[in-house]
Amino acid sequence: MAVYKRGYQRYRGELTGRYTRLLALPRFVWPRLIEQRMILIVLIVSLFWPLACIGFIYVSNHSELWSGLGGDLGKFLQIDGKFFRYFMDTQAVMAVILAALAGPGLIAPDLAHNGLPLYFSRPLSRLDYVLARLFTLVALLAMVTLFPAFLLFAMQGGLAGMGWLTQNWRLPFGVFTGFTLHILLVSLVALACSAWVKWRTIAGALVVGFFFILAGVAEMLNNVLEVTWGILLNPAQSLYTVWSAMLGVDAGEGPGAWACVAGLAVLSALLGVVLEKKLRPVEVIS
Amino acid sequence: MTLNFRSRQIWTIARLELRRVFFSRRSFWVYGLALFPLLIFVMQTIAVEYQKRTLSAVNTISPALMDSVREGERVEAVLERLGKPSRDREYSFRRRERDGEEEVRIHNRQLHYWDGQRRANLIFQEGVLQNIHIRQLVSIDLQRLMYNGVFHYYYLKLAIFFGCLGIFMNLFRGEMLDKTLHFWLLAPARRDVLLAGKYLAGLLAASVIFGTGAALTYGAMLWPVESAEVRTFFAGPALEQMLRYSAAALLACLGYGSVFLAAGLLVRNPIIPAVVLLMWESANGFLPAVLQKLSVLHYVQSLCPMPAPVEEGTPALVRMFLAPAPATSWPLAVLGLCSLTAAILYLAAQAVKRLEINYGGD
Repeated sequence: MAVYKRGYQRYRGELTGRYTRLLALPRFVWPRLIEQRMILIVLIVSLFWPLACIGFIYVSNHSELWSGLGGDLGKFLQIDGKFFRYFMDTQAVMAVILAALAGPGLIAPDLAHNGLPLYFSRPLSRLDYVLARLFTLVALLAMVTLFPAFLLFAMQGGLAGMGWLTQNWRLPFGVFTGFTLHILLVSLVALACSAWVKWRTIAGALVVGFFFILAGVAEMLNNVLEVTWGILLNPAQSLYTVWSAMLGVDAGEGPGAWACVAGLAVLSALLGVVLEKKLRPVEVIS
Repeated sequence: MTLNFRSRQIWTIARLELRRVFFSRRSFWVYGLALFPLLIFVMQTIAVEYQKRTLSAVNTISPALMDSVREGERVEAVLERLGKPSRDREYSFRRRERDGEEEVRIHNRQLHYWDGQRRANLIFQEGVLQNIHIRQLVSIDLQRLMYNGVFHYYYLKLAIFFGCLGIFMNLFRGEMLDKTLHFWLLAPARRDVLLAGKYLAGLLAASVIFGTGAALTYGAMLWPVESAEVRTFFAGPALEQMLRYSAAALLACLGYGSVFLAAGLLVRNPIIPAVVLLMWESANGFLPAVLQKLSVLHYVQSLCPMPAPVEEGTPALVRMFLAPAPATSWPLAVLGLCSLTAAILYLAAQAVKRLEINYGGD
C-alpha cells in the first residue's frame, strides 16, 4: 500500500477571542445535558422547594392572612437568616445530585476515548479546558441555586420594599456568596471524580459517595475522639458553617467559619491537583 | 448437566473473579472504607494514653476526694482540699443582661482533676463552682456504645452500602467498561451460572473485607480499656456480640450485593438506584412498620446486639416521628433477607439472559 508523506501546517488564520473559545465547549454541552431525561427531572424537582419558599414569603408579607390566628406565628413566618439557610440546605442537596448526574459526563468520556489531544490540538490550554468544563457545570448548578435565590430576593424585595433589602443586605450577600462557593466546590468535585475514574457511571457514584462518606467519617472522628475539628473533613458541614456565619445564624459547635474556609481551600487545592495530574494531552504508556 | 457440574462451573467463575475483586486497583478504596474505623480507634487509644500520662503527670487524687466536691464551693476551698489540678484554665467572656444594655464581664475558671480512672472537669464562675462533670476517660460500656454507633451509622449505612455498590456494580458494568464481558458470554456456561459465579465472588470478597474490618475494629475498640475489664467482658458477651456484628455485616453484603448486581444489569447509571436506595434506607426509621420490613437495613439491624442509637442533636419533632419497627427475630431476619436476595437475583438472572453487549453506550 502506498504511503504518502503528508505535511500538516499550523493554522495561521485569525483566532477568535479567548473567552469566545472558552464558551465553545459549554455551547455544545448544554443542549446535550438538557436532553438527558434524568437531568431534566432533577431540574424540575429542584424548583419545588423554591416555589414553596416563594409561597412562604407571600404569606409572611401578608399579615392580614394570619394576624387573626395569634400565637407565635409572626415569629415563625419571619424572613431571616434561618429561612434562607433552610432554603440553601435543600437546594445544595439538589445541586449535588445534579452534579453527580451531569458532571461525570464532562471529562470521563474524553479520557476514556483518548479525546483530549483533539481539544489540545486547538488553541485551548489545559486551564482553558478545565475552566470551560467548570463553567458548564457552574451555569447548570446556578439554575437550581443562584437563580431561585434571586427570585426569592426579588419577591421579598418587592413585597417588603427595598428598605428591607438595604436593611438586610447581609442576607443576599451571604446567599449569593455561599451558593457561589458551594457550586464551585461541587463542580470541582464532579470534575475531579470524572477525571480520576475515567468512567462516567462510576464517577457519578463517586460524587455522591464523596459527600456522604466524608460526612460519615467526620462524624465518626468527632464522636470517637471527642473533638469538633472533624467537621473540617466534611465539605457539606464546613459550607454550612460558612453560610451560617455569612447569614448571621448560629452554626452550633465546631471550628469557626475561617477555619472552615481554610479547610475548603485545602480541599479545592487537592481537587485541582487531581485535575492537573489526570488531564494530560499525551499519555505515555510504558 | 448435573447440579454438581453447574456448582463446579459457578465455583470456577467465582475463583477467577475473586482475584480481580480482591486485588484489582479499582477495589483498593473498599479496603480503605472497611478499615478506616480501625484507624480511628487506634488514634483514640493513642489519645487516651496521652491524656492519661499528661493528667497523671501533675497530680492524681483519690476517688473519694473527687466525689466530695459539691456545687457552690469556692475555688480556694477546692484547691486547698484537692491540691494542684492537672489542668487549670482561666478565661472571661462578656454577657449582655437580658433587658439591659450594659455588658457584664464574667470570669470563668476550669480545673481538671484525675483519680487514675475518672476525669473531673470543674467549672467555676466568679470563683464559685457552677458545674461538675465527672466521667471515666474510657470504659467498656462507653466503648461498646461508640462501636455500636460506628457500626450502625458508618458500616451499615455508608461503608458497606458504597462498598457493595463499587464491588457488585463492577461485576457486570465494570466488564462492560473494560470491554471484556463478551469473553464471559462466549464461555460454555449458562448466563445464570455466570451471574451466580460473579455474585458468589462479590459476596465472598465483600464479606471478608467488611466482616474482617468490623471484627478488627471491634478488637481495636477494646484496646484502650483496662485489661481486667476486657477479660471480664470476654468471659461474658464479647465474642457473641462480635459474631453478631460480623454476621450483620455479612448479611448486609448479601442484601446490598444482590440489589446492586441487579441494578448493574438493569440500569446504565448507578447513581439513580444508589440515591433512591440510600434515601429509602435513610428514611427507614420514619416509615410505617410494614414498609420498614421492605428494606435491607431492617433485617440487618435486627441481628445487631444493640439498636441504632439516636443522635444527640436530633430535634424533638424528628424523634417523635422516629419509630423503628420492632426487631425481627434472627432466624426470621436471615430468612427474610435471603428471600429478598433470592427474589432480586431471580430478576437479575432474567435480565442477564436478555443481556446484549453495547460497548459504545458507555
